[in-house]
Amino acid sequence: MIPPSPDIVDYHEQTPEVKERFTQLKQRPVVLSVDNVTKDFPTRNGVVRALHDIDFEVYRREFMCVIGPSGCGKSTLIRILAGLEIQSEGEVLLDGNPVAGPGPDRGMVFQTYTLFPWLTVKQNVMFGPKMTGHMSAEIEADARQWIDMVGLSKFENSYPHQLSGGMKQRVAIARALANRPRILLMDEPFGALDAQTRAQMQAYLLEIWRNLDITILFITHDLDEAVYLADRILVLKANPGEIDEIIEVSVPRPRSMEQFISPEFIATKHHINQLIHPEQKGDGPVLHFPRLTEAGDDVE
Amino acid sequence: MGESPSGKKLKVKEPWFAVRRELPSHRASVLTAISFILPLLIWSAVSYLPFLWHPDIKLQLSADRKDVTTVYTAGDRVSKEFFPEFQEAVRSQNEELEAQLKSDDPLAGSSESSVRRANKKVLRHLAPVLESNGWITSEQTKEDELIYEAWKDVATGKRKLKSPGLSEENIEIAKQNWNAMSAVSPVYDSDNFISVPLLSLVPQGKPSNPDYLPAPHHVASSGLEVLMMPAEGDRPSMVQRIGHSIRIVFGGFLLSALIGIPIGVLCGTYAFFSRLIEPFTDFFRYMPAPTFSTLLVAIFLANDAPKIALVFVGTFFQMVLVVSNTTRGLNMNLLEAAQTLGAKQSQLLTHVVIPGILPSMYNDLRILLGWAWTWLVIAELVGVKSGLTEFIESQGRYRNFDLVFPVIILIGLIGFFTDQFLAFLRGIIFPWTKEGEAMSSHPVAKVILFIPRLIKKAFSSKTSPAPTPQAGQP
Repeated sequence: MIPPSPDIVDYHEQTPEVKERFTQLKQRPVVLSVDNVTKDFPTRNGVVRALHDIDFEVYRREFMCVIGPSGCGKSTLIRILAGLEIQSEGEVLLDGNPVAGPGPDRGMVFQTYTLFPWLTVKQNVMFGPKMTGHMSAEIEADARQWIDMVGLSKFENSYPHQLSGGMKQRVAIARALANRPRILLMDEPFGALDAQTRAQMQAYLLEIWRNLDITILFITHDLDEAVYLADRILVLKANPGEIDEIIEVSVPRPRSMEQFISPEFIATKHHINQLIHPEQKGDGPVLHFPRLTEAGDDVE
Repeated sequence: MGESPSGKKLKVKEPWFAVRRELPSHRASVLTAISFILPLLIWSAVSYLPFLWHPDIKLQLSADRKDVTTVYTAGDRVSKEFFPEFQEAVRSQNEELEAQLKSDDPLAGSSESSVRRANKKVLRHLAPVLESNGWITSEQTKEDELIYEAWKDVATGKRKLKSPGLSEENIEIAKQNWNAMSAVSPVYDSDNFISVPLLSLVPQGKPSNPDYLPAPHHVASSGLEVLMMPAEGDRPSMVQRIGHSIRIVFGGFLLSALIGIPIGVLCGTYAFFSRLIEPFTDFFRYMPAPTFSTLLVAIFLANDAPKIALVFVGTFFQMVLVVSNTTRGLNMNLLEAAQTLGAKQSQLLTHVVIPGILPSMYNDLRILLGWAWTWLVIAELVGVKSGLTEFIESQGRYRNFDLVFPVIILIGLIGFFTDQFLAFLRGIIFPWTKEGEAMSSHPVAKVILFIPRLIKKAFSSKTSPAPTPQAGQP
């Protein structure tokens, strides 16, 4: 738990620069609009509502994170946005057009490794453009650029099983971007990576986002990750999955790891944590520990 | 590192038995070798150690018994229990004969000619022993002059039979018989052959296994002979038989793969085909293929068609189910990823499902090819018997098991090495799999991998000719 510090600030508080940035952000066109989306799953014990009345917008070039306790339906939400699931009610609009089924305009990076094992790195990146009917001569040069961007030029002819987890996800990002999607959907893409690789990948993703004209919707369960990456954080609550709050992150950009201990960062994190784990405010249950050491052991 | 405080190098003892832990490679290869050597050792032990099993006595020397119709000749096997009884019968017969010779009527009422005929038989009873001692050749077993001389040599001690030797009592009998015979004529004379009854030699033999378990060296030597067996009239050579059997196995297997794989892939991909086809297939596969043999002969008539059809029936239904299961086993995430990348439903099948399942399907087909081999024997019995099975069938009927075993082992070897070869090929065909990585540096792999590249090169240069300027083009 974050220790309540005396100089804790209100997470709402924004410096004039940050305030200005959000004003500009909201003037940009809406890329993705989610209108009152509800999702019900039929089960043996009747209908279970996974998502209830989800309503939000993602602006062009925005980096939005979705966070929430397990079972809040964040994966269901992103799958609906990708077109892999169909909502029960409501509508998803991409650039004002309703979404029906999966398509190359919404690139997706999954938590599990989904590179095609029978294709080399280059062939994986070329997969999307090839499916959408581009000529292979031009897409090959294009694919090289994307591979170069994620720093894997040396591995363009390697097969996925020869790559590390971080490298695989970098290829997955390059592969999704090669289609030039309107929005990049990321479903806990770094969840399976070790802490160090994850930190590298986060910095890396920010770098790509800053340099490309791309909108990102990013699902995570990691508070640090959400605050570090996002412009706005959509906090979901469980049973049924509903929007709890949409938080404007007051941490200034460009972001760096040093900001993890800045007052705004801690305040934002603290606030989200309380939204997600409201029951943790008091003391936890009293635990009784059995004795492990034996008499005569050199212990205090 | 790796040293104990006392300065000695620490040696970590690796256990031979650890749950789900792979053994070091040298141990693994030793065990692989033993896995083949051990059965061979057991077979050799049972064959060459007389105190292990050997329930029969193989006769080296036989005799006829009076008033008994069952005749054993040298080379026959009798059970260990019966052998002493057999010997005793002959001995008591000899005793009776001796008593009879001393009596007033040595012929006991039979005619001289019939006694003479019986005596000639007794004379020849020694022939098998003479043959195995090399005194006479296999063509000379009916040359009574030679055998007569041999009796003389044995009786007088001029020459000695060694392998097998004669028992004391038989040497005694030989002397007695020779005394009687030589009194009539010193050399063999068919017309003036002894007409007083001769004593029978007491049966001799050595412990042996039943004829259905020939010894390894026996199988090995006749194996070579069997393999080199040339064609003879209607009978095909062994090489032709092998070719015929392989044709039937692969014919049936390839046919069922040709039809079964597409259907299986469709069933695994589309619920529509799965629901339409799989329930009936599931039911049909429980009907044993051999039960259709007469039906298949009625439909396809003679020759190979009904045989190939039987292998087909035996593998097709399994193939549909196995392939559809493998197809369903493809990681769903890959299909979803492909869709988010813009792949349409029709492209999913060709660009994700098929390439994705190939390595697993390849392994399925290896197992199913094994199934096809198991149907071979039944298939070759359908209609007109043919191939290796016909050989096994006919030789087995004559109890020539030393000829049957090599063929059985040969079928095993063909199947085994085919599978090993296919396993080796897998790494080359699928370089993106774990095995593929290890394989890509293999010298054979390099050669084989070069071929598709060459074809690709030739193909691409054919299909995309140098661009020629065309009228009307900007």
